[in-house]
Parts: sequence; C-alpha cells; structure tokens
Amino acid sequence: MDLLTISLTLGGLLLVLLAAGLWVALALMVAGLAAIFLMVPVPPGAVMATTVWGSINSWDLAALPMFIWMGEILFRTRLAEDMFAGLAPWMRRLPGRLLHVNILGCAIFAAVSGSSAATTATIGRMSLPELRKRGYDERMAIGSLAGSGTLGLLIPPSIILIVYGAATEQSIARLFIAGVIPGMMLAALFMGYTAVWSMINRKRMPEADPRIPYLQRIWQTRRLFPILALIVGVIGSIYGGFASPTEAAVVGVVLSLVLSWFTGTLSRATFVDALRNASRTSCMIVLILAGASVLTVAMGYTGIPRALAQFIAEQGYSPYALLAVLTLFFVVLGCFLDGISIVVLTASVILPMVEAAGLDIIWFGIYLVIVVEMSQITPPVGFNLFVIQGLTGHNILKVAGMTLPFFLMMIVAVALIVLFPQLALWLPQTMLAR
Amino acid sequence: MRKILDGLYGAAEWLAMAALCVIAILVFAQVLGRVVDTVFALFGLPPYGFLVPSLAEIAGFLLVGASFMALAGSLRGGAQIRVTLGLAAMPEGMRRVAEVFVLVVGAALAGFFFYYAAKLSLDSHRFNELSYGIVAIPLWIPQAFMALGLGIFAIALLDDLVAALRGRPASYLANEDGAAEEL
Repeated sequence: MDLLTISLTLGGLLLVLLAAGLWVALALMVAGLAAIFLMVPVPPGAVMATTVWGSINSWDLAALPMFIWMGEILFRTRLAEDMFAGLAPWMRRLPGRLLHVNILGCAIFAAVSGSSAATTATIGRMSLPELRKRGYDERMAIGSLAGSGTLGLLIPPSIILIVYGAATEQSIARLFIAGVIPGMMLAALFMGYTAVWSMINRKRMPEADPRIPYLQRIWQTRRLFPILALIVGVIGSIYGGFASPTEAAVVGVVLSLVLSWFTGTLSRATFVDALRNASRTSCMIVLILAGASVLTVAMGYTGIPRALAQFIAEQGYSPYALLAVLTLFFVVLGCFLDGISIVVLTASVILPMVEAAGLDIIWFGIYLVIVVEMSQITPPVGFNLFVIQGLTGHNILKVAGMTLPFFLMMIVAVALIVLFPQLALWLPQTMLAR
Repeated sequence: MRKILDGLYGAAEWLAMAALCVIAILVFAQVLGRVVDTVFALFGLPPYGFLVPSLAEIAGFLLVGASFMALAGSLRGGAQIRVTLGLAAMPEGMRRVAEVFVLVVGAALAGFFFYYAAKLSLDSHRFNELSYGIVAIPLWIPQAFMALGLGIFAIALLDDLVAALRGRPASYLANEDGAAEEL
C-alpha cells in the first residue's frame, strides 16, 4: 500500500473508533497495532508490550501521579474559597473582575503542575461553580478556563518541556527559564482579551462585589499565603537545582497534607478519596501515554510523519513561511495526537530542517509548546476540552466554540514569539552570562 | 459472583493506591536525607550521605504497578476518557450496538495486550533479566503486575460487556455523565 492510502486508512480507523465511543487510549493502541500489522513484518503484540513497558517505566513520569495527587489534596482544603476570598478583592477594579481569577489561578497552579489537564481540572473544579454562583457569563468562564489551563504546559515545571529537552538533548533548566516570559505574556494576553470583552459587554457582567479596604484585603488573602509559600517552595527547589520534578512533586504532596491537616480538612475519608482520584486520573493519563507510545512506534515504522516533514522541507520556504506551515501542520496533527506524542514524533524529524533554517533549538521548543497548547483546545483530541466536558457536561464542540477567542490569542502569542525571538531567549542568555 | 468481581477490582485499586504511597514515602525519605546533609554542611559537618538505593528505577516500577493495577477501578469509576459526542447523537438502539462494539473491541484488545505482557514477563523470568541499579530487581516482577492489571482490566471490560448484552447499563456510565465529581 502506498503512504497516502495507509494514512487515510489509519486516520479513518481512528476516527471511527473514537466516534463509536472507544476509550481514547485504546483507540490509539488499535490504530498503532493496525499500522504495524499492515506495514511491517514484526509481531504487533510483542512490540506493544515492550514499547509500553519502556515508556511507562520512568522516573520522570512518576511526577505525574504525584502532581495530580497534590492537586487532589489541595482541592479538598477549601482552596476554592480561599482563592476567591484572596484574589477577588484585588480584581474588583479590573474590567472582567473575577474572570481574571480563572487566568491567574491557572497561571499560579501551572507553576506547581506540569500538566494542562491537571491545571484545568483543579482550577476549573474550584472556579467554575464560584463564577456560576456569582452570575458570570458561562462562555467567558469556560473559555478563559480552557485557554489559561494550557499555561500548565508552558510555565515551569512542564512535563512536555522535559520530554522535548530529552528528545533534542537540550538543557531542561534553560528550557524552563525560556518558558517563563512567554508564559507570563500569554497570561497577559488572556487577561487583556477578558478586559476588552467585558468593557464591550458591560451588560453581561454581574454587579461588582463591594469595595474592601486594603488592610482587610490583605487579611482576606492571608489564607493564600501558605499556598503561595508551597508554590514558591516547589518551584524554588526545582529552580535552585535542589530537587528533580518528581522530588519536588512529592515534597508538594507532603506539604499539601500538612496544610490540609492544619486547616482541619484532613481526615481518613478525604485522604483516601484524594488518593483514589489521583490513582484513577493518573491511570487514565498514563494509559493514553501508553497508547500514544504504541502509535508513535507504529508511525515510525510507517514513515508517514517523515514523509510529511520531507514534503514540507522540499517546498523550500523562508523561515516565516516554514513556521506558518509548521504551525498549521502541528495544529492538524494535534487534532489526532496528544502533545507529548507530537513532540516526540516530530522532534527528531523536523529538527534538522529547523537547524538548517537557522532557528534556535531552545526557541523552537517554546514555539512548539505554544502550538501544542493550541492543539489542547482543538477537537477531537483536545485534552482540556475533555477535562471541561467532564467538569461541566457540555460536549467538546460547544466547549471548543467558547474557547475560540482564547485560541486566537494563542495565535497572536505565536506571532509575537516568531517576530521577537528574544521573548524566549533573553532570560536563558542572562542565565549564561552569570 | 458480583461480590467476587467487585472484591477483585477493589483489591487491585488498593494495591495501586499503596504503590503511589510507597513512591511518595521513598522519594520523601531521599529528599529528607539531602536536607539533613545540607544542614550538616551548614555546621561544617561531613554529609551523612543517606540514599534510597535505585530509587529512580524502583519509582518507575512502582509507577507501572500503580498505573496498571488502577485500570479496572478507573474504568468503572468513569475516569477513562472517551468521545461521547458520537454516542450522544445516536438513537437509543444504535447507541446500545455501539456500546457493545466498543466493549468487544476493548475486551479483545485488553486480552491481547494481557497475553503479550504476560509473555514479556515470562521471557524476562526465563532469561533472568535484572534492572541495572545498585539493587538489581528482576524485571519480571513489575512486568507481572503490568500483565495482572491488564488481565483484571480485560475481566472488567467483559463484565460490562455481559451487562450491556443483558440490557443493563455499564458500570462507568453512572459516573461518566455527571463526571464533574471525577475529573
């Protein structure tokens, strides 16, 4: 079979399985097995077993259940009320008011979690009911959540940047530092859009809460300080080179338990509940990673991604045109594959081309992550959309529609990063100068 | 029968949760060891050098165990993600056919995967493959947990297939619709 036929066959198979309601991880595995079976004379089952074993048996991946567990514990500490009581009085003068809590909350949580699904789930579970209670526009509440939830990929510690660093043999510390400014810029873009939207749509904004004097505000924020200290501790230990992400995550779990004990929310029931939920959620994500690893190996056998990349390379574009095509390519690929698979699949294939075009590899990592963030909120395989579908019960197409303006903001961010590469490269350079 | 199956899923889930706890305890012990050394260094004392041997490998193995033992519980708890868009658009009869179809595909895949995971573990046992670290752990042990978890996952999928064929709702549906609790 030629490549085009096989691509269409596999794509069609995956779409049918997903549409019929087969679990995403299993659908990825079936498509991978089919590709191996059709294209190469190796036993698909044996390849699947060794591939999954190799990809899940990982020290770095152990950070995943720990960060999720930490979120589950923090979720049971009345963090929602604390976050609102603490952040809300400071947002009163900002157009968009408490919608910004969504964005800032995600940015803050992204700083302790490497996953956008965990960020979206944790902040959303806290903020969506509060925003609904106060009568905020549901489209904006959900859209801003889905958009800023993707900050989990960019603001360190980020699992996907670790994957990229390993695949391209770049310094993970430099990648982390490079992600800081673009991450903050993206959050600022989201806040800017929210502010403009709410100035135009004044009628759809609920009444502001009454003004609160400064001393009282600080008093209301007091319960956020332990959480901020926890975040500074977790990030600081990674930045300071004192702990690996897995270690920092475990320290985070322990500190969250301590925090939960002090606030009187730690009981046998909440502990077991948090642990069970963490176990189930991380199992789901790990199984998807397992499915993606099977599909990744299968794709390597078929040579489809290589052919696609070669095709793009042969067109002889300028760097800007090249990046425009790549962005489109990644977003389309992101409709079918998860971010980590995209990074792994394309890093080795696209990279020689990127280097030949004179682009910086660290910079390309940040660019790739923002584009992958965009694919997190595009159907049919947008992780954040699934998470929000789980949170709200709205189907993913509806959620995707609500998220569209924030998707456009991300395109603006990509354009800014392309036009001003120093946004990503300046901080790592100062790090080197020291 | 119902009691035995639920007991099986429950036991597997408790093992998964225990594995996560062990990861946390081992890693935290390692971090504490380093904190103690840092404090020693502040007072000019030589480091004690406490180390959890082969921690990185053991954590990886425990992660495999935790992830695969949690499969059945996470399926039945509705935590496994799927696209419900197509299902929601289908008429009642077709939806039941689709449900049976995905359960057949899922159970077949899980059984297939179980067979090859068990084979991987048996091969590792036969060739006495060990991990590379200070503590050499036979690879067949964590691989056997991977296979065991997949076996229980296959049973859970068959369990729901039987329920679907008898016209009863699948276990995960209860939690899937109001999934706000779960994720």
